[in-house]
Amino acid sequence: MGIAGASGATEQIAEILDKYPGGIKLVDSIEYLVSWARANSLWPLVYGTACCAMEMMAAGSSKHDWARFGVEVARATPRQADLIVLAGTIVEKMGNNLVTLYKQMPAPKYVIAMGSCAISGGPFYYDTYSVIKGGDRLIPVDVYVPGCPPRPEALLYGIMELQEKIRKEGRRNPWNIRNVLKTPFLDLHTEAKLDWAAKEKEQESVQKVAQEQFKIKNPDYKAPKAKRIVKEKFEDLPRKARAGKNVLNQDFFAALLEKFPDIHLFRQSEIQPVTVSDLGPEYLLDVEIPKEKYLELVQFVKEDERLQMDLLLQLTAIDWQDHFDILVQLLSTVNDHTMFLRCSLAKDEPAIETITTIFQGAEWHEREVYDLFGITFNGHPDMRRIFLNNDFPGHPLRKDFEDPTRVVKRPY
Amino acid sequence: MDLQAVNNTLPEGFRSAFNYDETSEEYYLNMGPQHPSTHGVLRLVLKLNGESVIEVVPHLGYIHRGLEKVAENQTYLQNIHLTDRLDYLSSHINNLGYCLAIEQALGIGVPLRGEYIRVMICELQRIQSHLLWWGVCGMDLGAVTTFLYGFKERELITDIFEELCGARLTMNYFRPGGSFVDVPDTFIPRVRQVIEELKRALDEYNTLLTENIIFQERTRAIGILDSAKALSYGCTGSVLRASGVSYDVRKNDPYSIYDQFDFDVPIGTVGGSFDRYRLKMEEMVESIKILEQAVQSFPQGPHRSKERASYKLPKGSYYSQVETARGLLGTYIVAEGGPKPYRIKYRSPCFSNLHALNDMAVGHKIADVVTILATLDFVVPEIDR
Amino acid sequence: MNPLQTNTLYPVQNSIGDMVREIFPASAVYINGFITIISLLMLVSLLPVFLIWLERKVAAHFQARLGPMRVGYHGLLQSTADGLKLIFKEILKPEGADTFVFFLAPILPATATFLVMTILPFDHHMQVADPAGGVIYVIGISGLSILGILLAGWASNNKYSLLGAMRSGAQMISFEISLALIMLLIVMVTGTASLREIVLSQQGTILDWWIFKLPVLGSIAFIMYMISSTAELNRAPFDISEAESELTGGFATEYSGISFAMFFFAEFVNMFVSAGIATTLFFGGFLAPQIGIGFLDSVLDFLPGFFWFFLKTFLIIFLYMWFRWTFPRLRVDQLMYLEWKMLLPANILLLMVGGVFLALGWIL
Repeated sequence: MGIAGASGATEQIAEILDKYPGGIKLVDSIEYLVSWARANSLWPLVYGTACCAMEMMAAGSSKHDWARFGVEVARATPRQADLIVLAGTIVEKMGNNLVTLYKQMPAPKYVIAMGSCAISGGPFYYDTYSVIKGGDRLIPVDVYVPGCPPRPEALLYGIMELQEKIRKEGRRNPWNIRNVLKTPFLDLHTEAKLDWAAKEKEQESVQKVAQEQFKIKNPDYKAPKAKRIVKEKFEDLPRKARAGKNVLNQDFFAALLEKFPDIHLFRQSEIQPVTVSDLGPEYLLDVEIPKEKYLELVQFVKEDERLQMDLLLQLTAIDWQDHFDILVQLLSTVNDHTMFLRCSLAKDEPAIETITTIFQGAEWHEREVYDLFGITFNGHPDMRRIFLNNDFPGHPLRKDFEDPTRVVKRPY
Repeated sequence: MDLQAVNNTLPEGFRSAFNYDETSEEYYLNMGPQHPSTHGVLRLVLKLNGESVIEVVPHLGYIHRGLEKVAENQTYLQNIHLTDRLDYLSSHINNLGYCLAIEQALGIGVPLRGEYIRVMICELQRIQSHLLWWGVCGMDLGAVTTFLYGFKERELITDIFEELCGARLTMNYFRPGGSFVDVPDTFIPRVRQVIEELKRALDEYNTLLTENIIFQERTRAIGILDSAKALSYGCTGSVLRASGVSYDVRKNDPYSIYDQFDFDVPIGTVGGSFDRYRLKMEEMVESIKILEQAVQSFPQGPHRSKERASYKLPKGSYYSQVETARGLLGTYIVAEGGPKPYRIKYRSPCFSNLHALNDMAVGHKIADVVTILATLDFVVPEIDR
Repeated sequence: MNPLQTNTLYPVQNSIGDMVREIFPASAVYINGFITIISLLMLVSLLPVFLIWLERKVAAHFQARLGPMRVGYHGLLQSTADGLKLIFKEILKPEGADTFVFFLAPILPATATFLVMTILPFDHHMQVADPAGGVIYVIGISGLSILGILLAGWASNNKYSLLGAMRSGAQMISFEISLALIMLLIVMVTGTASLREIVLSQQGTILDWWIFKLPVLGSIAFIMYMISSTAELNRAPFDISEAESELTGGFATEYSGISFAMFFFAEFVNMFVSAGIATTLFFGGFLAPQIGIGFLDSVLDFLPGFFWFFLKTFLIIFLYMWFRWTFPRLRVDQLMYLEWKMLLPANILLLMVGGVFLALGWIL
């Protein structure tokens, strides 16, 4: 941005025309026209990362319709876009891509940071190891629209503010021509405002008369006092047990014990029953298994006639400070039953066999556990990090993970 | 040519070897993370031969916010609002899943009116989510108008939610024991109105898109996933049901009071994109059925049970599962007795559903990958968490 | 067929032309030529501005919204603002792109459409040139725009661009064949390839327009023309070369600023040309829609020919827009299937049946 002109082109025009009489006015008019065109034709880039993107889409929908402001032609390619609406959280992995996208856009380009995540990290400011705390740490932001997520109306307001900014931005004399054209030919807004004011005045006078008449008619009338809001009292209800399932936990456990006598129930708390027969339909079967039998047992559980655990729900891990627990949750679509298999691993260099040969779906779950806990799976076909960058130091879901450059600890 | 050097520059994660044959026309194409049909920030790397897909490798993590880590340092009630941001299109249902786990741990019951509110809100949310999906699905296939029509009807339901809890997207409405506020008086009339409006709208949608010959040609026999594969990948929701496996948490392991309502679980036959599409459309009809029954017998009474002074879960681990608009969402909480959870794990339906993409897309064209992505109906922030 | 008359400057035979001839008898030919070119240029530059606005408004009202509202009456100046903005935007050239070809490519489609505009008969005496092989000229020149798109895709050094360009090239070349065959049917029944004479052959009532004059065949030919020309225009449901949800921006992915605007504008002028040719071939061009009732006919005749031409053309453009905002997109192989296995055989059959009709004298 130079001393004059909204862009290089208008600057050059200014250099030539300024020398001639009346040239300054002409340049001002050209600048006004260009900035008018820019303000009224903001083509947004199709870019949305999280929840805010939905509200951005809602701003384009029939009810809110940002096309009214000329923000209609959403371009998928940054080369033709003028505006990035940073809708949603920006994480470290996305950061580079965002900068590239911004660089790929032709000048002049504008950025609206929509929602608290793009402004400051929002709900993910504390404790998170991957979120970039604000879009303005990467690219310059013109307008901030607060909210989580902001309403579409708020985004529209942000766009109008941006238009206002563009109309003035970089112009030598931003106020001059605007004053000339300040009163539009058809100012419906002011008209409506005046209308409303007149109506209100009329209503007020009518009310005043009515109040006086009422006072004359009822001289000892007292306005009732507003009631205090009573806080409702609610009963403490006991929880109703969930409907039973086709197969009972003890049958399951019995079937397992038959084949593997050295497994036992995972006893986790005071409320959890000690024996299997106490396990109602509410509680999940949580079985602790030795590491050597892990693969065999998963295979058995999947194929056994009585169990038929045919769907792998999840595979995850828990960091118990001194050891890890690998947790495999399986679901039977036949018996509507679900169970956990739990297998403990040593803290240093934890490793276990992969179950991708049994459940293909385990592949990504195992990659996730590898990424976040650092547990390796022997024989896994594609042991890479799944969420984080390859050069990310450490494994964030471990309890001893610390990285002061990334994590801001919650102060309370 | 130094093969090793070339191999090092090839994209990561591909199983099939690169074909060095001179006549081969294989190349790699990067789709995303900023791409209109990846619904946010999913990144795909396609290995193509001309327009045919040889292999697809999805890359995740472009919106991995470390939600499970953040949850470990917040109290149980504070965490409800984080579940909104998982799958923001079914945030009510996510809230419910989380609250169910806490209710199970603390033995909190819910009054009948509270349960009715839960079921109705969840079904409205499901319809709302499906409407958005329908619009986006049409847009991915090139029919832009569907997008706006879907949003038009969606706004009706959004208005109900707004009146209910003030939010349009991230609701934070349910609490352990019910919901934080009772429904307004206008709730039932509004739901009635929405039911009427939706019935008309669904007919219109079917005429506009479902019965369109181009649409059917584009989706039939595209991205077929047989039931064995679907189970092996751990798919749930309409992706699993389209393959012919009838599993719906609402029916098979009913939570709240879903067992009191009469509804069907639509099942597909082939497991292709059109089946998945059809199932979602039918699910909307079923949800309307549930809503109609609930409106008929909506009871009076308290909307929640007594609020606790603090929610400290006793030591142990708790699990609950709900059927969101996309599949089975599991919430697994490990408690150590304090006010904050020791570990929280969300079992995301989209994570497993998306994994099946490579199997479905191989052999099809680029345009079919877009079709498959559209009918898989995933929300990337839920995959990445 | 007569050879193209290349060295004749067609006289402007309307009142303006007469006036110029009266005042400057010596240089009338050149002045008239200049005036025609200027007016045509103005039309070419104003048409897309209006058409883009129309498209956006039509789309908006199809989608239950309002569309541009803030600039001018109902956003009439919206595309002016867009154009002005695009002119003053930075022009980027991707790394590794072929500079000359990259900047040449957007000019070709614009040139092609402009050249076709010269032979459109807007009115009795409003036509820059009327070559005897007008139809052949249209088919030949419109091939230039394919070249532009192919070059754009090639020069961009981007896989999406290349894919889009290849799709577009394959699509336009194949649909050009059926387009040519349909035009050939009209040429066959009229016995002339001059666009003006084709219009004049439809004089009479509405029933004398070729869409009705050829029993059944006319309407079938028109439907097929609409399908092929939509594909030729790269518009939805055949917009596979831009396919935003697949290829982000198709062949124009890497273009920014004015060079993108050239593609954008050429697309819309192309639509006008295509609709104009449909009007000429099937709907009696600039002829008023007479219905055979004397009084009404004289009222209709009172309106100038170009009014009827533009009215009919814009109705057909509305049809194009209706298609675009209703249908989902076809896949590339389905598109090729449609052309080579369905449209082309049907076209040839149509041509043969038309020949039989002609031989038997069944044409009204």
